[in-house]
Amino acid sequence: MHSLIQLSIVVLLLPLLSFVILIFFNRRLPRRGDFVGVGILGTAFGISAYIFWQVIVQSYDPAFRVAWDFTWINLGNVPGVGPLQIRMGVVIDNLTSIMLAMVTLISLLVHLYSTGYMAGDKNYGRYFAFLGIFTFSMLGIVLSDNLFSIYIFWELVGLSSYLLIGFFFEKESAADAQKKAFLANRVGDIGMWLGILILYSQFHTFSFAEIYAKLAAGEFGLSNAWLTAAGILLFMGCVGKSAQFPLHIWLPDAMEGPTPVSALIHAATMVAAGVYFVARIFVLLTPDALHVIAFIGASTAFMAATIAITQNDIKRVLAYSTVSQLGYMVLGLGVGAYSAALFHLVTHAFFKACLFLGSGAIIHAMHHEQDMRWMGGLRKNMPWTFATFTLATLALAGLPLTSGFLSKDAILAGAIGFAQVEGGGIYYLIPVLGFFSAMLTAFYMGRQIWLVFFGESRTHLKPAETHHAAHHAHDSHDSHTDLHHAEHQVHEVSWNMRAPLVILAALSVFFVYSPDPLDGGKGWFMKMIPTPATVVGQANPQKGSLIAAATATQLAGAVPEAVVGHAAAGELPNAASSHGQATSAHTYSDLRQAEIVHAGHAAHYTAIYISSVMVLLGIGLALVVYVFNIIDPEKTALAIRPLYLFSLNKWYWDEIYQATFIKGSMVLATTLSWFDTHIVDGMVNGVATLVRKFAFFNDSFDRHVVDGAVNFTAFTVNTIGAMLRKLQTGKVQTYIVMLILAVFGYFVFYFTRLIY
Amino acid sequence: MEQLTPIGLNHYLTISAFLLGFGLFAVMTRKNAIVVLMGVELILNAANINFLAFSKYNGGMAGVMFVLFIIVIAAAEAAIALAIVINIFKIFKSVDVSSIDTLKE
Repeated sequence: MHSLIQLSIVVLLLPLLSFVILIFFNRRLPRRGDFVGVGILGTAFGISAYIFWQVIVQSYDPAFRVAWDFTWINLGNVPGVGPLQIRMGVVIDNLTSIMLAMVTLISLLVHLYSTGYMAGDKNYGRYFAFLGIFTFSMLGIVLSDNLFSIYIFWELVGLSSYLLIGFFFEKESAADAQKKAFLANRVGDIGMWLGILILYSQFHTFSFAEIYAKLAAGEFGLSNAWLTAAGILLFMGCVGKSAQFPLHIWLPDAMEGPTPVSALIHAATMVAAGVYFVARIFVLLTPDALHVIAFIGASTAFMAATIAITQNDIKRVLAYSTVSQLGYMVLGLGVGAYSAALFHLVTHAFFKACLFLGSGAIIHAMHHEQDMRWMGGLRKNMPWTFATFTLATLALAGLPLTSGFLSKDAILAGAIGFAQVEGGGIYYLIPVLGFFSAMLTAFYMGRQIWLVFFGESRTHLKPAETHHAAHHAHDSHDSHTDLHHAEHQVHEVSWNMRAPLVILAALSVFFVYSPDPLDGGKGWFMKMIPTPATVVGQANPQKGSLIAAATATQLAGAVPEAVVGHAAAGELPNAASSHGQATSAHTYSDLRQAEIVHAGHAAHYTAIYISSVMVLLGIGLALVVYVFNIIDPEKTALAIRPLYLFSLNKWYWDEIYQATFIKGSMVLATTLSWFDTHIVDGMVNGVATLVRKFAFFNDSFDRHVVDGAVNFTAFTVNTIGAMLRKLQTGKVQTYIVMLILAVFGYFVFYFTRLIY
Repeated sequence: MEQLTPIGLNHYLTISAFLLGFGLFAVMTRKNAIVVLMGVELILNAANINFLAFSKYNGGMAGVMFVLFIIVIAAAEAAIALAIVINIFKIFKSVDVSSIDTLKE
């Protein structure tokens, strides 16, 4: 076993140890054992940093990979399936080592931060235990080398997310939010499991490496549509966990959890697990599946950004911003900008964790006030928080010199390249939505910064009578927090909450990732995480091109030429290469991929120009509206009231789900309940009645016929006995009389016989 | 004067039948155990008469020998029977056979 593998297993198991110690013994340890959590995570981060150093800095090889696995369960020869072995294993490549370092670092910082933020909570020890099991599950996902174990850890992450969202479970909204998150995730996970089963049915293995090898060797026995279906179903897992468009509804509600948890789980790591998973399965995604992914990502990015501009809760703005940024990552994967998407995953994890922890500091300092309308003027009171929050905001908005700029522009450049290669038309919608979302991001983050940090304190403006109704104090573990406490001097938070902010903000600057502030492609990250060559295109070259030709001719007969070209470019990777071969730094055997990478590189500066303009537009709009008061936000909202309400009510998704799925489920449940009470119960009761009737019949039969027969026999015997007893007088003379009568009778009989 | 019918076998048998009848009647109807014994003697003697009559008309001495034995045995039987009656009397303080019905229990 490679020493890095051993170390990585230690890293994986350390948080589990923390969980076990804290869940059982937190009440016996001093300080409820928080030092155990922080210490263990510190050790885990130290080891992860060593792995990172060894893999990224020492070997600096894009193809670095060590793997180790063992047979976990051997089910032998299962009838109908064949030999079934479930293997578990660990794989370490560049992506894994980066993710390891990132997850343990953010987890460590969140542990440290929580010692300040959660101080005094009655379930303080249990909180750290939950953080431990979450970190364990997340590291499991990162290290898994097969679909089966990734699915196990996937569900464990869902569980720990459930536990942490509902940490203040005494509040009904938190309990509802945790249920919502769990259910929304289950919907995605069932799709993911079906996808895993499709792949297993063909390859009889769960291992990524084996599946890709077999897929490349053309061992997929079904049509390409099935492969597309498998890819989209696996992507459903990501849709659930990374809060993509149809299932995004749980993430904003998950802000009911403690704010450090929001930073760790619902901004930096767990929601990124979906993107990480799609990256792991990237090579088996067909072009069709990738198109679906790209459109879902683009629409998510746009939709969440439009919602974020009107939210008033500081955490909800960040939550929708997270959904939007996750949409960017998914978009990036969909358009084939693999490295850029993962780059954005990492940079986003740092600056969004910084934003969440910063908002936690603000909420903490404001005595659990979360509504931005009643904040303001915090710049002077909280300089550290202000500085780090602003830096992270600039990164999120994608201003040059920040990490977010590098990764977001790489994604947008990829999107432009993708649209060009796919032949324009509707595919230009993806970069357009991306750029528009970038502008909205800059706008809503500018709005947030202004409302929170600038101007005068508006605490006193808060209407007192609506205090409890409008109270968004999601973190009110200190629930008796009163409005009047907010009058107290707002002060900077202590060092253990400040240090994580500074570290995370430092990681949001460009030079950590790339020497060139304008091009992430020159940095170590993009070099270490190259786009892997797809295994789908060349799976069945003959078969594929035959089908391609057939489809093309069919389409040619039916539809205008433009659509033919479009379809051929979109669906058939081999055919798409007919117009101009790309020359690229990387060599890809799949021509569509090669072209997209090439076009993405070519579009790099275009993307920079457009996105910088968009970001400046967004920030400028925020300045115009909130700083210079040229446009009054209230009046504008009134002027475009339907649009404003549409955004404020989150595109009515909750209401739509309420009206369709929830109502539908309720109707279905009511129907089934009626069916149960009337038909099923009726059948059961009917059978019971029948049995009862039959039993009564049997009873009377028993009593009258069977008992009757027995009693009648007894009665007969009794009667005859009584009759015979009269003969048995005990007097010799009677017997003699009978003797003589008998003899006489015999004589009579005998002589009668004689006569006749 | 009409000649008396010579006495033949039928007369003996008739007397014997009458004796048997009287004996049976005594055995069946009398309540006194002694009288019942007397009835039994009558029956035995009815049998004796039959033996003797048949012996006479058949020739030979077999019937006579039978009768002699029967008389001896009847004497012995009477002795035993009277002893039984005395014992019954000792136990039941009565010789009334109709009251002695413990046999049925």
